[in-house]
Amino acid sequence: MAERIFKGGEFLVTEVTCDEIFTPEEFTDEQKQIAETTEQFVENEIVPHLDEIEAQNFDLVIEAFKKCGDLGLLMMDTPEAYGGMELDKVTSMLVAEKIAPAGGFSVAYAAHTGIGTLPLVYYGTEAQKEQYLPKLVSGEWAAAYCLTEPGSGSDALGARATAILSEDGKQYILNGTKQFITNGSFAKLFIVFAKIDKELFTAFLIEKDFAGLVIGPEEKKMGIKGSSTTQVILDNCKVPVENLLGEAGKGHKIAFNVLNVGRFKLGACVTGAAKQATLVGVKYANERKQFNQPISSFGAIQEKIADLTADTFAAESLVYRLAGLLDTKLATIDREIDNYYVEYQKGIEEYATECAISKVFCSEVLARVVDEVVQIHGGYGYVSEYPAERFYRDERINRIYEGTNEINRLLIPGMILKKSLKGELPLQAEAMKAFESLMTPSFEELDDSIHFAAEKALLKNLKTLFLILAGTAVQKYMTKLADEQEILMAAADIAIQIFALESAVLRADKACRSANEKKKALLEAVVKVFAFSATEIAGTAAKKGAFYVEEGDQLLMVLSGVRRFAKYDATGLLQAKRLLASTVCEEEKYLF
Amino acid sequence: MKILVCIKQVPDMESKFKIADNATWYDSGELAWRMNEYDEYAVEQGVQLKTQVADADLTVLCIGPQRVQETMKKALAMGCDRGVHIEDAESFKKDPFEIASMIAEFAKEKSFDMIFTGMQSQDRGSAQVGLMVAELLDIPSISTVVDFAFDAGKVTAKRELEGGIKAKVSCTAPALITCQLGLNTPRYPTLPNIMKAKRKELLSLPAADLLKVERKQETAKIYFPEKKGGGLVLEGAAGDLADQLIKILKENTGVLA
Ligand SMILES: Cc1cc2nc3c(=O)[nH]c(=O)nc-3n(C[C@H](O)[C@H](O)[C@H](O)COP(=O)(O)OP(=O)(O)OC[C@H]3O[C@@H](n4cnc5c(N)ncnc54)[C@H](O)[C@@H]3O)c2cc1C
Repeated sequence: MAERIFKGGEFLVTEVTCDEIFTPEEFTDEQKQIAETTEQFVENEIVPHLDEIEAQNFDLVIEAFKKCGDLGLLMMDTPEAYGGMELDKVTSMLVAEKIAPAGGFSVAYAAHTGIGTLPLVYYGTEAQKEQYLPKLVSGEWAAAYCLTEPGSGSDALGARATAILSEDGKQYILNGTKQFITNGSFAKLFIVFAKIDKELFTAFLIEKDFAGLVIGPEEKKMGIKGSSTTQVILDNCKVPVENLLGEAGKGHKIAFNVLNVGRFKLGACVTGAAKQATLVGVKYANERKQFNQPISSFGAIQEKIADLTADTFAAESLVYRLAGLLDTKLATIDREIDNYYVEYQKGIEEYATECAISKVFCSEVLARVVDEVVQIHGGYGYVSEYPAERFYRDERINRIYEGTNEINRLLIPGMILKKSLKGELPLQAEAMKAFESLMTPSFEELDDSIHFAAEKALLKNLKTLFLILAGTAVQKYMTKLADEQEILMAAADIAIQIFALESAVLRADKACRSANEKKKALLEAVVKVFAFSATEIAGTAAKKGAFYVEEGDQLLMVLSGVRRFAKYDATGLLQAKRLLASTVCEEEKYLF
Repeated sequence: MKILVCIKQVPDMESKFKIADNATWYDSGELAWRMNEYDEYAVEQGVQLKTQVADADLTVLCIGPQRVQETMKKALAMGCDRGVHIEDAESFKKDPFEIASMIAEFAKEKSFDMIFTGMQSQDRGSAQVGLMVAELLDIPSISTVVDFAFDAGKVTAKRELEGGIKAKVSCTAPALITCQLGLNTPRYPTLPNIMKAKRKELLSLPAADLLKVERKQETAKIYFPEKKGGGLVLEGAAGDLADQLIKILKENTGVLA
């Protein structure tokens, strides 16, 4: 595993080598086995009941939670003392990925193990953990996380729910309405955010049976119908003071830190869904004949399959690289220290940028995948008899919850700039260097003896481009940059593509060392296909950003930078796509 | 009580198989590997027996290259106590007699009370290994078992015969059972057991130490069954169809000559 401890966002200002990242090729036997147990669980216990679960027979979901509990699939992030196993993040992501084909159940599972359980693990007192964690780990109780309100979604801290201490000082009385709560109809434990005296944003642990907790009717949704989504109404709900979670007035820490993990796990989960959907599309393309040949033999269909494969490869590489980053960082914290979870939180928060990138990039990969998988199915993609239609509907929510993709995009440059202001990232100095390189012509030749030399040079160039754009924007708008969302969005897009591309290139570089010739050719192809698309997306974003920020000579100069730095020689692109597509179609499996 | 389970690692049967260059086995380069399905029932039965009788020790044995340890870890996670890996990068070249002899050589002085194997492997499918092990050890064996009971040293099993008929057979331990699909419901290893398996003993022995016999058979060639031509569906109006049919019969067959 990578030993160098990276700072969050550091990838934008430093060179990373393949020995410094974790890749899926390095899963241990135990991790693979856990993945297999998860796959078998989904295949045997969920998939046969999927139609009933989709019809909202939640008894089956409750049942499935218990089976998950028996297998240990709910133990991942909970310490041993409370019935868990506290495994590494790589394992936890692998399980999230493998649970994805469970449709709506995967959403119930993710909410329970992520935002439902983690606040208690990270912030609960001994007594609270002892009381609730074993029930959550065994699957006896499902958990729900109640942050959103009808009037406050993205603006989560604008919550209106209130908590008032009773006169005898023994209870808080909560009032308010929570909106769109996953697992609402069957959860037994609710983590609810409310403001004490309309001021102190605070989290509470509320049992289903507490007086004054009312569950609203099931929402009628576009997709993920197999998950429950309801309002949770607090009508003079009485909560014992012992059930205040963390500290009064510190609820925002709980809310946001847990979301970091949620975003990152969502990346893994949608990557699993992308693999599944692509495979369904490929199998259909092989079976369906038009003009007397399988449609998978048509270039138009092959190109889709190649592009989806390349996108998914990048998503997967990104997710496990991030898992490795987190594991390496978290491993440096001494488990015996009293404030273990405080340090642990800081460790995760360090990579808030990367967590947001994971959420946005991977959910948008899935969006492209399900769209094209419907297209590959033609009319049959539009009718519910085929799974493509459900994939399409189920996907949409991923770009909305756990922070909309807009909110997450805004966070990316926002956090990087913050780190730079705090002196944690040498953004300014690096931006200066980037500007200088803009004035000096480059005569650098590619060193062909280095594997993926062109892509590594491209990465260096895209980082320079990001710095140029970020630098000019900061210079022009200074502290008002936060109001210039269009520019921030463009900057986010460049950063996202850099992180994804770097993850894909470095993984392929590392994997090539032990790959046979055939595998090597596939790795080179997948990198080429993804590098081409990443360059185009980053280049367009940079150009857009340049027009937004600059004018006159300065604009011309930045645009010349875009032309120079967002440039990638993709000779052989067509052959690369054909190789990927024909291999996927022949083997009918995810190739990497 | 000492129990032995013999397992094999085989390719995922959904893989696209290619025949290797020498045409005596399949190309193993790009395959995903898993436990032979029949052996999952063998492991499960071993674990169930161990739970039933107090004070049992359950060994899982596997012959093959380094990668088979991954499959052995699954057996350990399902509940086997220890593993014996007979390291042999070329086990696929050995015939059933050689494989059985190696197992028997390992087992001969260890006095196992019960031995479980799969009925056959999914890749070679000889269904010989288990029975030969029993013969070499001079113990009774019951093959193709779909129901198993053990009571005070006595084995009562149901065997599956052709046409859905079953036979009830019994013998006394030590004995060997080859397991048919459906004998039980193999458990999935739970996460805690997967992690615990990491700490279980996994002994490696070189194949050369155990191989003392010579092969009795040779694989001359393996090949895919010849593809039959697909049917042809003609479309169009009746008169048209007749014309098309006549044309095809004339061009491709001699029936109208
Ligand atoms: C099926 C489902 C399950 C859910 N599960 C849960 C759950 O378990 N617990 C929970 O607490 N919540 C849950 N949610 C709520 C979800 O997190 C919110 O819907 C989401 O955060 C968006 O909030 P909103 O719906 O109020 O949209 P809004 O915040 O009103 O956003 C509307 C649009 O405006 C944009 N926007 C908003 N603010 C800004 C800004 N500052 N700058 C730029 N653009 C902005 C958004 O990106 C979006 O495009 C769930 C939602 C759904 C649909």
